[in-house]
Amino acid sequence: MMSTPYSRSGGTGGAGRPGPLDRYAAQRATGALRGPDGCVYLHQGAVYCVECPAVADVGDRLATAGRLPAERWRRAVDAAGADHSGGQFLLRQGWLTRGELEVCQLAALLDAACFVLPPRSAATSFTPGDAHWLGVVRPVAAAVLLAAVARRRAQLDRLGSWAAVDGAPVVPVVPDAQDRPPLTGRQRWLLAHADGVRTPGELARALGQSTFLTLLEVRRLAAAGRVRLPPAVGLPRRRPGACRSEPRGPAGAGTNAPVWHLPDPGALETADPDVALLVRLRTALEENL
Amino acid sequence: MPGIDQVLARAMEIPGVLGAGLTDWTSGLTLGTAGRAPHGDHDAAAADTAEVVQAVARNATFDTACGNGEPLEDLIVTTGSSYHLIRRVPTAFDSQTCLHLWLDRGQANLAIARLRLRDLATELVGN
Repeated sequence: MMSTPYSRSGGTGGAGRPGPLDRYAAQRATGALRGPDGCVYLHQGAVYCVECPAVADVGDRLATAGRLPAERWRRAVDAAGADHSGGQFLLRQGWLTRGELEVCQLAALLDAACFVLPPRSAATSFTPGDAHWLGVVRPVAAAVLLAAVARRRAQLDRLGSWAAVDGAPVVPVVPDAQDRPPLTGRQRWLLAHADGVRTPGELARALGQSTFLTLLEVRRLAAAGRVRLPPAVGLPRRRPGACRSEPRGPAGAGTNAPVWHLPDPGALETADPDVALLVRLRTALEENL
Repeated sequence: MPGIDQVLARAMEIPGVLGAGLTDWTSGLTLGTAGRAPHGDHDAAAADTAEVVQAVARNATFDTACGNGEPLEDLIVTTGSSYHLIRRVPTAFDSQTCLHLWLDRGQANLAIARLRLRDLATELVGN
């Protein structure tokens, strides 16, 4: 099963110790910087392509949208040749407009960058002169890209309490009729495509959508109780006398697994816990076990 | 067919325009700029524009109020001296891009600028 390295740490986002990308950007290097999560292509220090196997690339996005058949994309790959002019080929054929190629390429670059940058310095290798077949479409300054990635990551971090849904199949939860906060169009669309099998990253890849935005929306849906949280690991499943909270009797409308709603994480933080109350509570709970 | 730079150059022909930009609204990444930016900082303008779009895009109030989930079109911010127009770029494929203008309120016509920006956003992606 594909996993998406959504929660990364280390490296720099423009602050702190410079990473390998900062170094090659400062040297105005041209080539490919390969790491465990993907590959960053540089032209004179600017990033013009980022590849991440877990993220939909330009061809995936165009094909799933019905904008450019996969077969034409493959022809562009074959036609690119030694001068790496696949992008120019697509434009010459009239299959894409310049604006479409630029916007789609930048969207794919940024989405992949979120899961590749900043590269972990210990595991990267740089191949000078190595170029991507699509060619230089519209390069982005490395520092500006790192800052954009950091801003995206901050949005995911704000919903960090629901990170457990990132790697789990997306299972929609039908809420009680009176408890239905309205959804955005994108959230409805996402729930309509959630098949209970694919993870957010797999859904995004298959549907040619932004992996970042899909992860963000699934975390939001989890926070709103509209997506099932995966069972917590590391907690005892059974205790003597404990029972499972499954629906019983003929009223149970299906075989839904228990739904867990996490409280607002802010409510769990306190500088002044009422220890006496907590001890009384624990004693009472133990007496009922 | 125009690319990002050609579309931004055309945006600079809109009466009263001070500056223009193309931005990824999920991250504030600047994809292209032309003319001036408030406080002389295009990247800061892009990041601030992105925050405004995010604040609107994540709320169902502006998105599915009539039930059909029509995507966002424009955001208009007016101040005593300026207009800020933000237009989502309607791509066939998945992207989160917006075209935005900074206009001198004394020189610009808001209705005309909005229609011109709509046409430019459509031209950019060849629809």
